[in-house]
Parts: sequence; C-alpha cells; structure tokens
Amino acid sequence: MSTNWASATAIALLLSLSTSAAHAEEVTAWRLFISDHADPKVTVIDAVNGGKLDTFQIKGPASLHRSESGRTVFAVQGSAGVVTGIASGISFEDHGEHGDIDVEAPKLADVEIAGEKPSHFVEHDGDFAVFFDGEGVARIISEKAVLEGKSDFREVKTDAPQHGVAVAYGSHVLLSEPHREKPDELPVGIRVADKAGMQVGGIHACPDLHGEASSGNILAFACAIGLLVVTQGDGTPAIRHLPYADSLSDGKTTTLIGGRGLQYLLGNYGADKVVLIDPTLESDAFRLISLPTRRVHFAVDPVRAKFAYVFTEDGQLHQLDVVKGEIANSLKLTDPYSMDGHWSDPRPRVAVAGDRIVVTDPLQGVLHLVDATSFEKTGDIAVEGKPFNIVSVGGSGQTHEGE
Amino acid sequence: MSRTLKLAALVGVITSLPITLSVAAAENLKVVASFSIIADFARNVGGDRVDIIALVGPNGDAHVYEPKPADAAAVGSADVVLVNGLQFEGFLQRLVEASATKAPIVELTKGGEVLRNTEEEHHHDHDNAAKGEEGHAAEAEEGHEEPHHHHGESDPHAWQSVHNAEVYVKNIANAFCAADAAGCDTYRANAESYGEQIEALEEEIKAAVAEIPEGKRTIITSHDAFGYFEHEYGIKFLAPEGISTESEASAADVAALIKQIRQDKASAIFVENVTNPRLIEQIASETGLKVGGELYSDALSGENGPAATYIEMMRHNITTIKGAILAS
Repeated sequence: MSTNWASATAIALLLSLSTSAAHAEEVTAWRLFISDHADPKVTVIDAVNGGKLDTFQIKGPASLHRSESGRTVFAVQGSAGVVTGIASGISFEDHGEHGDIDVEAPKLADVEIAGEKPSHFVEHDGDFAVFFDGEGVARIISEKAVLEGKSDFREVKTDAPQHGVAVAYGSHVLLSEPHREKPDELPVGIRVADKAGMQVGGIHACPDLHGEASSGNILAFACAIGLLVVTQGDGTPAIRHLPYADSLSDGKTTTLIGGRGLQYLLGNYGADKVVLIDPTLESDAFRLISLPTRRVHFAVDPVRAKFAYVFTEDGQLHQLDVVKGEIANSLKLTDPYSMDGHWSDPRPRVAVAGDRIVVTDPLQGVLHLVDATSFEKTGDIAVEGKPFNIVSVGGSGQTHEGE
Repeated sequence: MSRTLKLAALVGVITSLPITLSVAAAENLKVVASFSIIADFARNVGGDRVDIIALVGPNGDAHVYEPKPADAAAVGSADVVLVNGLQFEGFLQRLVEASATKAPIVELTKGGEVLRNTEEEHHHDHDNAAKGEEGHAAEAEEGHEEPHHHHGESDPHAWQSVHNAEVYVKNIANAFCAADAAGCDTYRANAESYGEQIEALEEEIKAAVAEIPEGKRTIITSHDAFGYFEHEYGIKFLAPEGISTESEASAADVAALIKQIRQDKASAIFVENVTNPRLIEQIASETGLKVGGELYSDALSGENGPAATYIEMMRHNITTIKGAILAS
C-alpha cells in the first residue's frame, strides 16, 4: 500500500462543545466493499486508513449494490443463484441539527434470497426488488427485514422468464413485460401492478428495456425509443414517454444512473458517448458527450453534485461537468482495458467515498485513489485477487459518550 | 397544527457574497429568482431592465424542488440571485456550490419581521437520515434522503405578510442598484410605485377580514404556510402538515387536527395550489366542512390563473377565505 494519508480524509475526532451533558465527537468512517472477478468473496476495506476489515465468503462472483441508507450491501451472485445481504456496520440517525453515526463491524446479514439467475437489483424508498431472470419473478424485501436477519420477501410474478426488472414503487410494483414471441430478447414494456398484483392500466411500451435509475423524485427506464419517466401520480404512478431527440445519432441507452444533489440522468449512448438527460423537459432533454475512447464504467459524484466520472478503455478517468456538459479533467490511472472481448471481462469500476474517487484495477490487484477536489491521484490500496465491483458506504456524524 | 408563533424581529441588511457585479447599462441584468413570488417582485422592481428566470415556477413547491443542471447554469451566469432565505430553499446550498456563481445571493427576508418556527423545537426527524460529510452535501452522498433540509428556527413564509413583502421589494431594489448603478433611479422609482400598490393591498385585506365575524376566523389549509397572515391579519390557520410539505402528516397528526377542528369550530377548509388535495378532502369529509376553494401559498398560479401576480394572489386568497366563511 502506498497512500498519501496526510491528504486523506483522516478520522476526525473533534471534541465539540455540546449543549447536552454528553460530549460529542465528530467521527468520519468510510468503507469500501469490493467483489472479486473470479472468486466468491467480498473484501471490506477501511477507506480512511486503507486497512482490510474483513473478507466474506459468498457463493459466486458478485455484482454489488449498496442501499440508499448505506446500512446494507447486497451481493448479487447471478451464477450462484443467490443474493446475499451484508450489514455495512455504518448507520446514521438524524437529529435535525446534527447527525449521529454508529460504527460497528460489518457482518453477513443472515439473509439470502435464492432463485434462478438474479440480475437487476433496484431499491426504491427502502424496498429492494431483485429480479430473477430464470423465473421471471421479482422478490421484494425491506431493509428493515434484511437488517433483522429475516428473509421476509414477497414475490411478484411476470408472465415469462426474461432479463427483467422490477421496482417496488410505494403500494405498486413496476414490472418489465416480457417479449412474448422472443423471450430471450429484452422486455418490451412496463406493467404497473397494484398491491394485490392486479395490472393497473395498459402496458407502457418500452422496447429493448434495459437500464433504470432514480434521481430525486423521478424514476426512469431506458428503452430503444427513449425513456419512460415515472413520477408519483394521484394514487398511481404516472408514466410518460420521453423520446430521444431527433438531433441524436442513432443509438439507445442501456445503462442509466441518477444524479444526486442535481436532478439528472446519465446514460450510455453508443460505445464512446454518454448522454446527460433532464427528464423533466419535453424538448432539449438530451445532451450527448463524446469520449476519447470507448466507455468502461461511469458513476455520479454524490457530494460534488456538478461532477460525474467516466472511465474509458485507454485507462483514463474523466471528470464530467454535468452543468456545462463537458469533460473538465482527465487522469491516466491504469493500463488500457480494451472493450473488445466479453462484456463481463474484468475491467475497472468507479465509486466515490467522501473526498475520494476509488477505481478498481482488477488486473493489477489494486484500488487507485483520486482526490475528488484536486482530481489528482493520491495513492493505491492493494487488494488480493481481481478487485472488480465496488461500492462505498460512510460519512461523518457525532458520537456521544455516556449516552 | 396550531403552533405558537413568537415574533422575533431580526435586524439585518441584504446578505450578499463579497463580490458584486456591475453590468453595462446596455445589457439587461440577469436575475435568477428562487420561486415565482420573488420573480414577480423582481419584475415589478426591475421592469424592462432585467431578465428574470424563476427556478421554481407557477404552482411549484419549493420545499421539495429538485434543482437541475440547467438551474446551476442559470445561477452560474446570473448577475443577481434572489432568494427567500430562512431555509425555505433547501436546495440552495448545493445549487450554489454546483453553479460556482460569483453573483450575490440576496436573502430577501433580511430586515423583515420573522416569526419563530416553534415546530422545529419539538421536531425530531422521522427517518434514519444519514448525515454525511459536510452536512447537506454528504446527505446527498449517502443518497438515502434525496438531499433534504431541515427548516430552521424561523417560519420562512414571510411573504404572506404584506408588510414583509415591502421589505422584499426594498431589498430587491438595493440589490439591483448594487449590481447596476446606472439603473438605480429606475429601480427605486419602481419599488416606490409598487410599494404603494401593496400598501393599498394590505388595507384591502384588513377591510375584508374586518367583515368576517371574530368567532368564525379559524380555517384549515394543507400546510403551515400562513403563519404570517395569521399574525398580521387575525385569521387562525390550522394544518395537518408542518412548515414544510416535505414530510407527510401522520395519522396521529390528522386525528389530532380533526379533534381540534371540532373544538375550535373551524369555519372553512381549503386546498393549496402546491399540495395534493387528497388529505384536505379527507379531513373535509370527516369533519363535514365543505372545501371552500384553493389558496395560493408558496407559488403563484400560471399566467391565466387567478393568482398570476403577488397582488392577485393575496387578493384571491382573502376573497376566497371570506367568501367561504361567510357562506358557511
């Protein structure tokens, strides 16, 4: 490990004056959860000091998802047919004028959701929906149940196995509609089901449905014909079609992520472009941004709302200014990772942990650390194996002695 | 719910960032207003010397507004940014950070009479909100709560007092003068003329309230947006939701309100233009009150609506309130 810890976000133990009898300490804690490309394990790294906290053995190589609260991390093991919940060990409680942080050891949450080919994992308002492609079934569970170690999930079925998606949307569920004639192809629309599982309204057309994201109070699905934009309607979800602009070149979005702090969506659009989307607009909603080479992965910065990051196959990390719609900075981090070959070959992934951007480098077995403010590389953390998918959890809060 | 509002006179002047910009007289002043009511004030003061963008438009709810990259771009290129302050615009900090603007951010409630929000003193948040690094910014980071804010010690809906509206207008004139000295005489003249109009409006409101029997001056709205109207003009407002529309009223809140409505013998109930009418309709149904119309609380109506300007909004509200009470 070679890390410039002087520039890192150090644990801040600032004794503060408190109006309460108990002394309050300001504590910062960040954890990185990293899955391996080949081995069934999740490694947990303390992002503040770079040390390894734990390694959890799971059943298959996993893609990782963190809950919005940060209390839970999910390892979706498609080949092993199971989703494993992990308690991150970091939780927050809001007291209005300040927030308390509680830091414990991370641990497996004793919750597994099994089924054939788990794929898309979507959280909405504290409910997680995992879609099992091999069954065409979504299993929905609350974060509360996961943290209590209870596998209390409910099932919502679609008409056929498919590479689908489901979103628990309040008292409704949004479900992908399978392609009837060619079930191996992508879904063709979205169906709204009520609490009893009954269909509400017609099917909302969304051919080649793949990709979903939320930003603020808006949820969107990506389709061949544009987006389906979902907002809270009067009792039922309101869904409208936002077609791609005529000015865009031929293409479609198949991966979406949602802005934090600013409301926007960022999607892929062709191999060497990304598209910034304002889903509230009727026209001029899309801004296409060309990249120097083909795109590997992209992520939004949840703290510095004006930035997102795109990693490209030439080994560069790009800082994307979402306000100006242009690349503001680029930084060479790794050897080239060609996008030729299988889509799931080991390639870098990006996460943001407080003031740091963390990029996995699976073929070198390291995490690259980049200061999010200066956009300069500050260090590396070695990780055994091929560190691949990554999520970060953490923040700052107060702890109170004697309470 | 009914809350004791204590008057706190805050003495202050326009708050601005250290850098103020002067623009060439030939160019219009580029003004961003955080919401529609402020945009209307700015239009009256600035006339044809200013170009105004309102971030939260007609019938929009600033409490829950999600700023867009285009908003950050507008703020970034503005000469003056006009905001309410008192933590009304929960999105403001992250928007200003994202915009990297050098324009003065002018809080128009500075120097006005500000009511304390006693709700906040008893308020403990209902969710397990993450409080990440650097306050609001890292709330966003933890993503859970779409970065939201806590309303502070003060009730932000100060424009519901016409007296305070005059303070807003004076502050806008001062801000425009600082940014565009060549137009200052025009701004001051416009502000004075408009000030006279809203002074006359206040007399209209007082006269209308005087026609309402004292025993019938308790009414219901969706959220606590009318504390200043109550303080200034003597109409008592009860509401299921608090100062912000961010959090929904609990079943216990609604039950307590219904009990209070019966105790206080509320005369009328109203929906608001920025909130879902369903809860009010439910309360109306349970209490036997008839919905007396729509009040404009935190936003103007569209151009063709009954409250397209501040003056029209206040006139529409008191006319609607008076009409419903007298018909009850």
